[in-house]
Parts: sequence; structure tokens; C-alpha cells
Amino acid sequence: MRTLALCFAAVIALSGASPARPASDDHAGALAALADVRAAVAEIVRIEDGYAVGHGAYLRAAHRAMNALVGRRDDGYAASFGDPGDGVGTLGHLDRMLDKTSSARWTPAVQGAKANVLAAAESLQSALHEKQMEDYQADLTRALASLALVVGRSSESGVLGGLSGALANTSLGVPRGAVSASGCAPPSRAPAYGVVAERLAYVALPRSTASAAIPDELGISRVVVQGDDVVLYTHAAREAAALCRGRSHMQRTRGVAAPAVSYTAPQAHAGVTVYRRYCLQCHGADLQGSAGPAVAGTEFLTNAKRNKWTLNDLRTTVFENMPFSNPGSLSPKQYADVMGFLLASNCYPPGGKPFPQTPSPSLAKVKLGPVPGAKPSNAALGTCAVK
Amino acid sequence: MWPWGSAIFSLAVLVAAICTAGSPRANAQAEWPGADAYRNADKDAANWILPARGYSGNRYVSETEITPENVGTLKKAWSANVDARGPLETAPIVWNGTMYVTSSHNDVYALDAATGAMKWHFPYKPHVIAFSANRGVALANGKVYEATLDGHLIALDATTGKPVWNVVAARDTTNTFYTMQPVPYKNMLLLGASNGDWGGIGYISAFDASTGKRLWDWNTIPGPGEPGHDSWSGDSWKRGGGAIWSGVAIDPATDTLYVDAGNPQPDFLGTVRKGANLYTNSMVALDISGAKPKVKWYRQFIPHDTHDWDPAMPPVLFTGTVNGSPRNLVASGDKGGNFWVLDAGTGAVVYHLAVSTQKGQNTQPSRKGTIACPNTNGGVEFNGGSYMPETNAFYVPSVDQCGIWKSQGTATYVTGQFYLGGAFPPLYGPSTGYVNAIDIGTGKFMWRKHLAFPQIGGALSMSPGIVFTGGVDGDFTAYDAKSGNVLWHYKTGMTIQAPPHSYVAGGKRYVVVAAGPAGVNFADPRFSKGAPTLEGRYSHPTSAVITAFALP
Repeated sequence: MRTLALCFAAVIALSGASPARPASDDHAGALAALADVRAAVAEIVRIEDGYAVGHGAYLRAAHRAMNALVGRRDDGYAASFGDPGDGVGTLGHLDRMLDKTSSARWTPAVQGAKANVLAAAESLQSALHEKQMEDYQADLTRALASLALVVGRSSESGVLGGLSGALANTSLGVPRGAVSASGCAPPSRAPAYGVVAERLAYVALPRSTASAAIPDELGISRVVVQGDDVVLYTHAAREAAALCRGRSHMQRTRGVAAPAVSYTAPQAHAGVTVYRRYCLQCHGADLQGSAGPAVAGTEFLTNAKRNKWTLNDLRTTVFENMPFSNPGSLSPKQYADVMGFLLASNCYPPGGKPFPQTPSPSLAKVKLGPVPGAKPSNAALGTCAVK
Repeated sequence: MWPWGSAIFSLAVLVAAICTAGSPRANAQAEWPGADAYRNADKDAANWILPARGYSGNRYVSETEITPENVGTLKKAWSANVDARGPLETAPIVWNGTMYVTSSHNDVYALDAATGAMKWHFPYKPHVIAFSANRGVALANGKVYEATLDGHLIALDATTGKPVWNVVAARDTTNTFYTMQPVPYKNMLLLGASNGDWGGIGYISAFDASTGKRLWDWNTIPGPGEPGHDSWSGDSWKRGGGAIWSGVAIDPATDTLYVDAGNPQPDFLGTVRKGANLYTNSMVALDISGAKPKVKWYRQFIPHDTHDWDPAMPPVLFTGTVNGSPRNLVASGDKGGNFWVLDAGTGAVVYHLAVSTQKGQNTQPSRKGTIACPNTNGGVEFNGGSYMPETNAFYVPSVDQCGIWKSQGTATYVTGQFYLGGAFPPLYGPSTGYVNAIDIGTGKFMWRKHLAFPQIGGALSMSPGIVFTGGVDGDFTAYDAKSGNVLWHYKTGMTIQAPPHSYVAGGKRYVVVAAGPAGVNFADPRFSKGAPTLEGRYSHPTSAVITAFALP
């Protein structure tokens, strides 16, 4: 326990020189949650290993372990037995980490950890009601098994990795204020944390301090000495490297694969009339928007790409919420025609099949964005004229 | 050497004398409004320096030369064309003979308030997330402030129109934009964000008016551990909506800010956000005297709304006569067709009146579709209304529409798209409007006019007894405040969804209103066929015009 805390303090001190950007307290929260789990485990192990006689000591141990897990804000907290944890409880820390508008790569691991804490608490709860020593011990063993999953292991990064795995292999392992670097390239200076798409690829430490500062939770798969620095590669390093390769591959091949978008030229032609009558007033003759937003061309497509819109997202907005002054009021044919017109105006080539009049799951697989190899008839706007 | 020096000296004196005489600084008025000017803005006969005239939010002007007897002779004095890429919703700010207005796409204009001549023009090209609209600028400390469709807050030099600073003010520019007119208060600019149908959480911010630095944010959705958080099931609060997007009122004596928080999200799917969903669809009175706002009281108009019936009307503070005695009141209205009068000190409901047809108030949108009224663009809209002490009446336009409401099984957040859990409702039946006069003594209608088109232009009441308002058919009308009789009207040939203002320039009183293309909400299907106007057929307007009227 103490060594763990000290080691992390050392890393924070080492890396505090030039913080890249303010991180939240999730890293500290995960460490505190782990500390509470370990306090609970210590209580259980102590009573199991000891030679206590009488019901009271066992009940007390179960209560104290429970307190460390659930925290003082929970109904299951029994203050009179004392709390070997920090009072917030593992659950309190995990809830704080999960109570966010966005989810991180480590979220599933933390959610899994929370489920296992709840399972451990359930086992402890039944231990409190047992009459027979064997039953009590069976409950505690179940609790220990659940808590082992909460701690997890640093070689895994999913649910099986638990809190250790998340700390070892994801951006959760980066302390607040530490220097983050791209995990795709070796570090240019230490201390630094190499991160790729929320995966922690390595921790680089100056050689002089490395032996004192290696975090307990770091799962090390490979150690590379690089000049005056030591680079500790994590178990996620291999996956990160594959991602880095994939990125450069995608950059090389971008602009080759044709998007799987289908509509027919007659549809697009029929869509001209629909657009003029129901859409033009708000989206403009040049489709660049007036009262409403742009619906074709460079501005629309770059924004669609930035927001990761699929063809199905566009379909939903058009079929269900347009025209905005009377949504859903056109016929399915009119909607499909105007979708054809919009795709053609965005320089998507027509295909063999018409744009469907009913929902189609395959549309969700088509990502919108500038069309490779397109030759816009209006180069300034990036739109293609539809006849 | 002497003769030369003497001549140059004399010339310099002469030039200086001419410049001083011709400069507006020779005017007795201060160069820019000071603290007292804002506090007493509603009593300043000549200028209009806050969005809804004064901090009370009441568009009322006392003691004007325009009377029910002579308003019939009102004539167009000047008009000025501005960028016409979208609807005009600008509330003009007038100070010392200069008028500041905005276009839908955030262009800012300084006009001569007596002639309409352009003094400067600041062009802007924002990315538009969903709707293009802007409700106007704030003027303070020689700067003009505008909040933009791409989430920026921009300060311009009020004399030259040149940018002074430009900051990204929205917390998430992928789903948040600004349409609201910033409100200068003390050293702050108060500004609410529009994100209520796009998966954000509503908030109002205070920015330092000299630097643009954020001073505080107040979230309309209580987070974990805050009172009201338990009115949301599970994690639903995280994209709970509640945008503050129209306008605010302030009581400077107590530093109380009155705000209306918008509808909850996903708009049409209540099952994923069980509970009352505080503080959506609520008026909230905030103490803003300290470093962070504190909730004094709140009044939730429609708990657990599933119809996008948010209180769009900005609060109006006024002292009305109720049962023969004066009482401090605050009025609001929602898109559900309710008009509310509350006690300004406690939030207790004094009056509640339906100003639009209501049906299916307790139904839920369904997969097949459920009919309810008003439609999502119905009821009382964002320009609100006005109280006139002479008649003890509140004047508020409204929209009468019904819709068919559909929900889906789930709601999925997609960046930059609507977050609805259903679809916006198609119209069911006719789309019309009302101009309502409500007697504050009794809480009943004094008069109301049923009109062929939705009415969203707000109201300007002027003593001794006129109410001005405009409809989406472009008809700008003066009503007799006592009887509701039409005293004067003018066909703009465009859509009016901006509030009328009044001011004095060059010794003459003007009434001004902006008109332009229809906004997305009010692109009336009748317009595409050509609605009748005095000029002939109505078609998509391609111009956006500020028009000022005066007596001959």
C-alpha cells in the first residue's frame, strides 16, 4: 500500500514539469478505489488467517471490509465498526469516475470493476447473516474472488483487466499534470507517457530515477534503454503499434475505396423539383444554407466527416425532421428523390440501385465525407450540378 | 517666419473649432452609457440600450408623441438592407443616434438612426449547425458584443466596427451555438447557449466584458450531489437539455437574474429520463451577487415535458395591479400555449391562462403518432410580450397549431444532429395566430385577435395607448391598447420575427422593426404557393430590411 502510493507520488513529481493539459482526477480516483479494495481484502485475509474465537470478530471484519468498499454515503455503511478505507469507498470513487457525459476507453473496465464490487458487497452482506462458520467462510471466499477481479491484472485491458489493467494500459494510467506524448513514436524526452487513441503504450523515465519510480500498476512487457532514459512498454504497446501502422496505412490508401452509396440519376433529377419546392427556402439555391445549414459541398461534407455522420443520420434528419416547418409531410418517394438529389449535389456518383424509400440498416455503415476523386462543377463550393 | 507661423496657427484653431462643433461629442450626452444609464434604461426616452429596453425586460415606452389618434399617419421614414441569407430576429440597440443591428449569419451593422445610412459593417462567416438567427448585440464601454452561430463571443469597436477580441465561448462547439443577445450587467456579459435539441446541457455564462474571460457558468441540469439531481433517472441528466436561449430579466436592486430554461432531452422520449427533469421548462430566479449564482426559487411550468414545450418567452418583470393593489410580478409564456404570471419574490403562480388551443396535454408521443396542441413551434414564442401600466394589461402574441407527435424506442446521440428520441411533429390542421391582451387585474382576456398567420413578433406597448406587433406574414400592425382595434398597418412583404423598438433621433421619434426571409420554424407552406399581400403574391423573400417609421 505505502510503496504504491509513494511510487506514484514520485512519478507525479517527476512529470510535473510541463503539463500538456489538465487531466481530470480519474487517475487519482482509480488509485484511491484500488486502495480501498486492498484495505477490504486485508481485513478479510487477516480474519481468515488469524485464530479469532467468537462470532464478534468475524462480523466486525465483514463490516469493516464492507465499509471500505461502499463508503460512508451508502446505507450499508456501519460507522461503529471503523473504516480501514478512506471513507469515500471503492464504489464512491468508481461512481465519480463513471458519472460523466462521455465515456473513455477505460469505462468498460471500471464498469466491470463496479459490478464486481457490488458482487463482493453482496457476499459480505450474506456473511453477516450466516450462522455456521463454513457458510461465513464460503461467503468471504466469494467476496475475495470478486475483489480479485476488481483489482484485475495489468496484462489485460478489458473487463478482465479490472482497475489494474485500466491503469496499466489506458490513458487512466497518466497522472494529472503528466506529460503526454504520441505513443506512435519513441519518446523525445522523459518523463513522458505515450498514448495512442487512449491506449497507454509506454512510460518513459529518466534512467537515474527509474528504479525508484516504476509504478506498481504498470504492466511491463518490454524494457528499452534509450540513451539516458528507460522506456517501459506496456501490454497495450503491441495494439497501439498496430493502430499506428493502421493510421499510416489509411492515410496512404485514403481516396481509393469508393463509398457504397446508391441512388439513380432519375431519382436525383426528380429530387430537383422536391428540393426547389420544400427545401430551397431554408437551404438556398446553392445548397449553402440560409435560414438552415449547408446541405452540400465542402462545408457540409467536412463537417459531416468531423462529426462522423453516416448516411443513415442524414436520412433520419431528412425523412423525419424535414421540412422543419412541417416535418414528415412529404411522401416516401419525395424523400428518397430528394436524398438522391442531395447525394448527387455532394458529388456521389449514382449506382445501380435506387435510394430506398424505407429504412435500411446498411446506410448506417456509410460514413459521409468528401468524395474521393470527385470533380465538383462548382469548385469554390465543392458541389456538383444536378440535371 | 512670423507670417507663415501665424497663418498655420490660425488654420489649426479654425479646423479644431469646426471639428468640435460638428462632432457628436459636442452633444450633452455622454459618449457611452454609464452604470446609471443601464439601470434607468427603461426611462430613457431617446435611447434603447438593452435587449428588451430595460433590465425588467418590458418593451414599454411612456409618454410618446405617437397616439391612437395620429398613429394612422405613420409613414416609412427610412429602410436599410442587410444580409438576407436567413431570418432577421435582431432587437436593435440605439445609442446617441446610432443603431446597431445584426443579420441571421452574424454580420453586424451600425446605422445612422435618423437616416438608415450605414456607418460600418462587420461581415462574418460562421458554420451553421442547424438554424441561422441572431437576436442582436450588446453595447458597453465603447464596444459592441455579438455571440455567434459558431460559438464565439466577439467584441467590436463601437465607433469603427473593428474586432477588439474574439473568444470561443461555447463549451462544445459541435452541438452548441449562440442566438441570444448578450446582456451587459455591471462588468459582466450574461449569455445563454443554444443546445437544447442537440444533446447538450443548458447553461448561462457570465463573461468579463473587458476581456471575454469566463467568470462563471450556471448549469440548468443539476449534477450529482446537487439539489434536483434525483429528478433524472440514471444517467439521463448528462444530455438533459434545458437550454437558456431567448432572453433574461434582472432586478438590479437584489441582483436577481430571472431565466427560463428550455425543454428536456431527448425531446419526445420521456421513458429514458423518468422524473420531473429539473430545471427544464422552469423559470429560475438566481442570486448573481456572488462569485457563483445561487438558486433563490424556481417554478417548473411543465414537469417531464415530452413535447418541446419550453418557456421560450423571456421573463418580464413589472408591477401590476392585482385585486386593486400593486404587486411585483414576473410573466412568462411557453410553447405549450400557457401564459404565466408569477409573484416576482416567491415564484408563486398568480395567473395561468391558455393563449393557444390546447389538446392532449397529458398524452405521450407514440410510435404511431399522437395528436397534441400546440405544435412544437406553437404557443408563446421567443419575443414574448409587454406590460402597459395605463391599461394594467399584458400584450402577448401566440401561435395556434397542432401536431402529430411520434417517439422512437431509443434515442441515440449523434454529434451535431438533433437528439430527439422521435421526430418533430408535422402540422395537423391550420396554422394561425393570436394577439392577446390579458387583464392583470383579473387574469382574464381584455381582448384577443385571431389572425390567419402565426404571431411571433413580440410586442411593444407605448403610452398613451398603442401596441405594435408583427406577424410571420409580414404585416406590421398598431393596435388600440384598450380595444384591440387595428389603428394602422404596413405590409413589409417579408416575415417579421423580430421585436419592434422605439427611439428618438434628431428630435424625431421612430418605431423600428426588422423583416426578412422566414426562419426554418415558420417557413409557412402557404408561402411556397404565394400568400396574398398588398403588393401581390408572397414568395420567398430575398431581402432582409430594417424599416423605421415616423409621423410626417
